[in-house]
Amino acid sequence: MGCAPSLVALLEAAERGSKSAADALFSALYSELHRLARHELARHGAPMTLSATTLLHKAYIEIAGQDGTSFPDRNRFMGYAARVMRGLIIDHARSRQAQKRGGQFEITTLGTEVENAVDGEKLERISGALDELAKAEPALAEVVDLKFFCGFSFQEIATMRDVSERTVQRQWEKARIYLHRSIAEELEV
Amino acid sequence: MAGGALNPERWQEISPHLDEALSLSEEDRADWLAAFRAQRPELADFLEKLLQEHRALADEHFLESETQKPTNETSLTGETLGAYKLISHIGEGGMGNVWLAERSDGRFERQVAVKFLRLAVASRGAAERFKREGRILGQLAHPHIAELIDAGVTTKGEPYLVLEHVKGKQIDEYCDSRKLDVDARIKLFLDVLSAVAHAHANLVVHRDIKPSNVLVNNEGEVKLLDFGIAKLLADDAGPAAATQLTLEGGGGLTPQFAAPEQITRGPITTATDIYALGILLYILLTGQHPAGPGAQSPANLVKAILDIEPKSASDVVAVAAAKIDTEGIAQSRASTPDKLCRTLRGDLDTIVSKALKKKPSERYASVSAFADDLRRYLKHEAISARPDTFAYRTAKFLRRNRTAAGFTTLAIALVIGSLSTGLLVANRERKVAEQRFAQVRELANKFIELDNEIRGLPGSTQVRMQMVSDSLQYLTSLGSDVHGDKALALEIAYAYVRVAHAQGDPTSPNLGQFAEAEASLNNASRFVDPVLAKDPANQRGLFIATTIAHDRMVLAERGAHQEGVLRDGAAAASLIERFMNTRPTESHDLYSMRYFYSNVAGSYYEARRFDDATRYCQRGLDIPLSSTQGNGFILAILAAARWQSGDLDGALRTSLEAIELDKGEAANGHASLRVNLANGYELEGEILGRADAEPSLGRSHEALAELQKGLDIAEDLAKQDANDYLGRHNVATKSLEIGNILRHQSSQDALAVYDHALTRIREARSNVSTQRDEAELLAASSYPVRWTGRDKEAKQQIGRALELLNQAGRYPTDKVEPMSDTYDALRAQADDYAETGKAKEAIEGYQQLLGKLMAWKPDPQNDLRDATCISRTWTALANLLRRTGRTEEAVRLEAQRTDLWNHWNGKLPNGQFLLLQSLSQIAPSAVAKQ
Repeated sequence: MGCAPSLVALLEAAERGSKSAADALFSALYSELHRLARHELARHGAPMTLSATTLLHKAYIEIAGQDGTSFPDRNRFMGYAARVMRGLIIDHARSRQAQKRGGQFEITTLGTEVENAVDGEKLERISGALDELAKAEPALAEVVDLKFFCGFSFQEIATMRDVSERTVQRQWEKARIYLHRSIAEELEV
Repeated sequence: MAGGALNPERWQEISPHLDEALSLSEEDRADWLAAFRAQRPELADFLEKLLQEHRALADEHFLESETQKPTNETSLTGETLGAYKLISHIGEGGMGNVWLAERSDGRFERQVAVKFLRLAVASRGAAERFKREGRILGQLAHPHIAELIDAGVTTKGEPYLVLEHVKGKQIDEYCDSRKLDVDARIKLFLDVLSAVAHAHANLVVHRDIKPSNVLVNNEGEVKLLDFGIAKLLADDAGPAAATQLTLEGGGGLTPQFAAPEQITRGPITTATDIYALGILLYILLTGQHPAGPGAQSPANLVKAILDIEPKSASDVVAVAAAKIDTEGIAQSRASTPDKLCRTLRGDLDTIVSKALKKKPSERYASVSAFADDLRRYLKHEAISARPDTFAYRTAKFLRRNRTAAGFTTLAIALVIGSLSTGLLVANRERKVAEQRFAQVRELANKFIELDNEIRGLPGSTQVRMQMVSDSLQYLTSLGSDVHGDKALALEIAYAYVRVAHAQGDPTSPNLGQFAEAEASLNNASRFVDPVLAKDPANQRGLFIATTIAHDRMVLAERGAHQEGVLRDGAAAASLIERFMNTRPTESHDLYSMRYFYSNVAGSYYEARRFDDATRYCQRGLDIPLSSTQGNGFILAILAAARWQSGDLDGALRTSLEAIELDKGEAANGHASLRVNLANGYELEGEILGRADAEPSLGRSHEALAELQKGLDIAEDLAKQDANDYLGRHNVATKSLEIGNILRHQSSQDALAVYDHALTRIREARSNVSTQRDEAELLAASSYPVRWTGRDKEAKQQIGRALELLNQAGRYPTDKVEPMSDTYDALRAQADDYAETGKAKEAIEGYQQLLGKLMAWKPDPQNDLRDATCISRTWTALANLLRRTGRTEEAVRLEAQRTDLWNHWNGKLPNGQFLLLQSLSQIAPSAVAKQ
């Protein structure tokens, strides 16, 4: 891909607070994940479903492999990539919906629960509310990205962040309350 | 809005309090909230509201499954349409909004329903046609069809229908609320059929029959709504719209009531309605949609409609799947699950499946034919529809099984009784004695054969026991007199083996009396050993001796004496070879040998000796039999051996081959073969994805579906035989796997599964095996119990689990086998400490557990299970050390773990998947070093 070395630099710059680096990182990761997803689907043939979790793992292995020892640890990567994955899924749901209007059935390709459960419009609302939540309690927003959008289990998330599974479950419950509330408010406006 | 709006600032204020409240159980929360209200009155209301919402969110699985209904549109209250004034918005169907209205000119008192259709009638011509069609439909007068009064188009171009307003309930809800039994439901359904038949006679097809279109009013009259409306829409929007409509009609884009031809855009005919009526009947009888319970994705539904034969109605009510409340379903039909299952099995199954045929031409030719069969059923006459498979007849036999079994017992009692009297006479009159002797013997052996025949029939365990022990008693009474009769000695030995089987053969339905079974096997040996001592190549003798050795091995596996298992297994294997040297030709004998090999292989597998296991599998597959019978089970062991050696892809492939073979064998209903199939699904599920045990492909959603299939079978077996222990054990093992995956997704769902399995296992007579099953389930469910705020209960459960393991002779112990029940319980205890703030106890717990694991002498360098188990224990300990500031110790452990996985990564045939799995445990920055 050739973008790998810059990914590290971008990630570091983004963590130092550079807005433009964050944007560049987002789109670099986005295209990398997108490419991997398409590649996997092509390899397995059309009806195969690919989970977001697997995709992220694969992405990490590839990127870390290209970049050798200097690549940041997996947990930081996952936290970041999960946010990117959210964007990917929302775009995917949107394009799926466009196809559906044409009367076609489509098999889910990313295989997360998200796509079956919620329409694109609602996903966008959730995404907006998540951005708000990230300002108040970033940990909660990250749990939602990892679980709802990327399909990680509570246990995996707990291990990633060095907390107990119970803590993660609690954070998830809280995040749900927040999201539900702010989506409901939006509807009433 | 109560309590004010939510924004990040307000959230930060309330968040810590919410944390505190959520960590309490429901009961404690009320007190806490009262105390909080006294301190922070300005926040209390808002917090209470959030907590209420929290409860609702858990119930509706917010962000976990399907959500969200379309929102209401702007109010039309008070507007008039032609002669009608809209009163209130009363509902929203798939087609559009429905309003209650009354005539604005006051000519009639009557209220009507106005239905706005969600489509634009673009041209003037189309609007005219719409009105004209509407009037044709209006002439469709029938007492069970809701009248179409008028049709029109609003000034905005929105078409609407004016319909008879039916105050009533959906037919399925009506039946449930009145607890109507099956016959009453069928009678009501016959009214639906008469309405549809009338429409069909007028060349109108409904196209969208579903429960929400069939109402029953307070007088108990059925009213069908929306006749022909689907066609109005289809004509307007072109051929695609009817399907689209059905899709939207089901809510959330699910084509729940579509017939296959509606999906594939085939011609829509009266047969389409018959299919939908079939679904409706299925729902009325079973409370379930034929595609199965729960939220279905559109893709799955389409697959179900086009490709998958629905479960027969009787199976659905018999099987308590994780999400089905069979008790409740039966209750609302004034029945019990057992009774309901028996009522549906047979004719009703056949009738429903005839209506639900995928090919329109194979369904009932007309609604009247459908109705005729139902009327015949009500009158207990033979129905016209023919069952399509042999399995149908078996099922029918099983339904009568209870009565049949009763007869058998009675017959045996009579026959044996009269023969006994005869023998007494014979003893006195020696000249007829020999003749009697031969007769009695023949008869006793007949019963033993009969036992073989009915062994697999669900519900037969108790009868078999009685039958076999009576025969045995009889043979022994002969045996005490007769010396040197080789054949009689072998017959008695075999009878003892049979008794042992009914008492506790863990591979088929049994009474769970394992100690008694062992004693019976010893008795069998007493008779067979002398025969073999004199005649080492006696084929029958070798057969029985092999059976005994095999059964001992299987029994030893259930108990705590692991070391005996391989000794018995080796003995069995060498006896099989001796038997095969006598060149047996009977296919039943050969099949038995293949079966014995498979279990020997299984024992070696359990002992983690995968090479030996593979070798015995191969020998079993090599037994010269023309059929593949039994190979499914052997392939399952091969698959498991591959899985445990890390070849996950290969394992999955082999397990699918195994399931294919098992399916064919299980089709004849023999219980132990169905157990094999259930185990096949369990294995496939474990390979696909298991959250916190052995390595898997990480496909836990697929895994759940496969495990559920296994559970369904086990549940079916458990239900059919109240005395059977094996079915209950299988319910326990499958539920444990399902719960262990589910608990990382939803505590409530996992709890439901664990609790059900606990109920089942407690129905069985207590023995070492049930104790171990119960201990496993209690330890596993302590997690979701705690996660729902019931800390004290969780601790009690763990305590009880350890107590049960103590009773089973597994605890206390210095050595703990990786991934064993004892490991799970001790791990649960340490995890419990860790999550309830007792870091010191937790660290101690993990360290002790590691010590016990190491004392067992695991082989983490060569045994993947051992590696995974130890690694996971390290992970837990390292996480806790890190959290309590003991970073250095944590880092040391994490380095050990990284080394271990780097070792495996180089060694495994499919490193990629393993790496994916193990990655989630690898410490920060560890991967980068590779």
